[in-house]
Amino acid sequence: MGESNETVKINKWDGAAAKNAIDDAIREVLTGDLKCNESFALIDGRLFLCALAVGVALYALLWDYLYPFPQSRLVLIVCVSSYFILMSILTLYTTFKEKGIFVVAKEKVGNNTRIWEASSYVKKHDDKYNLVIVMRDSTGKSREASFNKSFANYIDTNGAVVQTIVTNEITKLYNSLSSEKKEK
Amino acid sequence: MLDSLFDDVKRMNKRQFIYQVLSFGMIVSSALMIWKGLMVVTGSESPIVVVLSGSMEPAFHRGDLLFLTNYPEEPVRVGEIVVFKVEGRDIPIVHRVLKLHEKNNGTVKFLTKGDNNSVDDRGLYAQGQLWLTKKDVVGRARGFLPYVGMVTIYMNEYPKFKFAVLACLAVYVLVHRE
Repeated sequence: MGESNETVKINKWDGAAAKNAIDDAIREVLTGDLKCNESFALIDGRLFLCALAVGVALYALLWDYLYPFPQSRLVLIVCVSSYFILMSILTLYTTFKEKGIFVVAKEKVGNNTRIWEASSYVKKHDDKYNLVIVMRDSTGKSREASFNKSFANYIDTNGAVVQTIVTNEITKLYNSLSSEKKEK
Repeated sequence: MLDSLFDDVKRMNKRQFIYQVLSFGMIVSSALMIWKGLMVVTGSESPIVVVLSGSMEPAFHRGDLLFLTNYPEEPVRVGEIVVFKVEGRDIPIVHRVLKLHEKNNGTVKFLTKGDNNSVDDRGLYAQGQLWLTKKDVVGRARGFLPYVGMVTIYMNEYPKFKFAVLACLAVYVLVHRE
């Protein structure tokens, strides 16, 4: 846990591990090199839903232990139904609100606050890493850029993410999105 | 080897780690809530049981999975297969109702026997207990799946194996991201 700069080694044929490693690298670029502030509201929302669901389950367990079954019936009904409702809300939240967004970063430019959202996905049994970066400014305008390249572009033969390449790619996207703004 | 196993965990930040723990919690809670939900739906404190002995052969064999219901409005009848608890025994017993007495006010007392046993169950009941009543009943058999419960029986016979399997699953879920 925690920030560490030691090189990370992963099995690049493990799609999920490779995706996570590159996601982490991109987060580091956005919040480190590009000096944006990470906003945790999105992930905190998910954590809150998860914690609430687990809390409901624990409460049902405790109540059923203190007041064995026929007595605890009503509490169990309430807990079980709210648990499954929470699970559906969580599913909706991750599919429609999070949509694979792994970092949200805020950046102040003059009076403008720009919000950067990066999301990524990898198809099963595919080596293509798809990244979408969306930039929103405080006027409500949004622009997005994306790329789609093989893992092999970012991960060397030892399985370490090549941070310089990631930094270059992201900086390029960042600059193009920022400058487009000025043209308009 | 062990180092690389925990690499994923070491690389997580605080929130990712919390999420990892919570998603493990949600796997456990989902199973728990499904079980509790079944309890509410069937009215039985243990809606699924595994037959542990051959005392009900040829109706049920060791390892059969039984589905129970326990609705208070359904009367117990002779010939039904009930699952009941006996004071001082941890494991409920699955046997058939042999004799039953019912009073006008709805209270019942009944005697059970295993199909494959030569005597009734009075010897199995608590000291001095001659009859079972409604409060001893866990549920009545409504359906069964043959042999599925063998896994549970093996797990219980080799507790070390059970703990090993559970520990492996827990470590796998906690250590692997998403």
